[in-house]
Amino acid sequence: MITISNLVKSFGPQTVLQGIDLTVTEKEVVVIIGASGSGKSTLLRCINFLEVFDKGEISIQNKKIVPEETNLNKVREEVGMVFQHFNLFPHKNVLENIIEAPVHVKKMDKAMAAEKALQLLEKVGLRDKAYAYPSNLSGGQKQRVAIARALAMEPRIMLFDEPTSALDPELVGEVLQVMKQLAKEGMTMVVVTHEMGFAREVADRIVFMGDGKILEEGPPEQFFTNPQHAKARQFLNRVL
Amino acid sequence: MIIILDIFLNTLDVFPRAALLTLRLTVTSLLLGCFIGLIIAFFRISSNKLLNYVATVYIGLIRGTPLIVQIAILYFGIASIVTFSQFWAGALALAIHNGAYIAEIFRGAIQAVDRGQMEAARSLGMSYPLAMRRIVLPQAFKFSIPPLGNQFIIGLKDSSLVAYVGMAELWGSGLSEAASNYRQLESYIVVGFYYLALVMLFSFLLKKLEKRMSLDTKLLD
Repeated sequence: MITISNLVKSFGPQTVLQGIDLTVTEKEVVVIIGASGSGKSTLLRCINFLEVFDKGEISIQNKKIVPEETNLNKVREEVGMVFQHFNLFPHKNVLENIIEAPVHVKKMDKAMAAEKALQLLEKVGLRDKAYAYPSNLSGGQKQRVAIARALAMEPRIMLFDEPTSALDPELVGEVLQVMKQLAKEGMTMVVVTHEMGFAREVADRIVFMGDGKILEEGPPEQFFTNPQHAKARQFLNRVL
Repeated sequence: MIIILDIFLNTLDVFPRAALLTLRLTVTSLLLGCFIGLIIAFFRISSNKLLNYVATVYIGLIRGTPLIVQIAILYFGIASIVTFSQFWAGALALAIHNGAYIAEIFRGAIQAVDRGQMEAARSLGMSYPLAMRRIVLPQAFKFSIPPLGNQFIIGLKDSSLVAYVGMAELWGSGLSEAASNYRQLESYIVVGFYYLALVMLFSFLLKKLEKRMSLDTKLLD
């Protein structure tokens, strides 16, 4: 579904991704973990081309994406993203946030888009908030709306960039719950998170990053009980 | 005091009409200035080096020279090639002048919108122009209202300078009035009152607009 090969990305003199190779298959949930500054978020942002990379190749659904030649907007329609800071549109209510892209990008009929949006809100447990504005929602609610907004475009792949890192601890659960549900439904997901419990329970594969490289990858049981790389052991000792 | 009142009453056939001209001139030039400003602001934030350069030079030139010089150059220079009506020559000069300042206001306001807004919009498949129009600009507009209001008031008062290319707006009429009645001080005081009244009208409208917007701004994160 996603094939990344030899991905290199620098910010100025600092190389944050030093040749990443990663394949994500359909319906797979890949959780990327690692210390901050290890390049996890940058890798995720490269997958939907929010970040321009210097070298390497990304193919999505067997199509090699060349940023200069491909309509990236079309690619992004297929790759939903959820951000750490939600990034809801503050001048639009919840329903308008969700139907914005279906109506203006996919040219979907407004009433139809709204109906679908309400179904998505039902799914994330926020149907009663359809007409609320983002500023009147809690962090957890905002993030659930953001997930619904991304899902409204019917993406094939969902990227989550530390979706619970900006939340109060007691609000983390409700967001993870929605993500678990999504994983169960067979969504292909790439998740950057510090939630080890979620990683262990939901991931099909753990990818451990450090210094811009993938240091270790494997099924969660193996990774959490018997990490091979010294840095992975160190990291787990600190977070568990 | 009596003399001022006397002049005020005796000029009721002149100054109100002149004030209206000032108002028309100001509103026309500011609307045009907003249009210019928005385009130049886009040039400024564009990744295209040429557009960037054009905007920087434009803003540099306008900010670097006095308005009276700009008016004179436009009036005597360009108007000798293309014929403008006096009104449009004045309005255009003021628009070009205000446009530079408004461009900086818009640029600042656009850049004040959280980057995440553009990223979220793009991640949903929206093109840059669509994301700009539907997501960033509506928010930037709110940020730009207070400084824009300030610039509008400055623009109103600066419109007085077109008197020096012979326009009989408020200040122009004041000059000729004073020249004919030999009561300079009193005439100028009356003109001052008219400007003050216009500025107060502007301030009132701006405050109302700002208030209405701030009801919405509460919705901002």
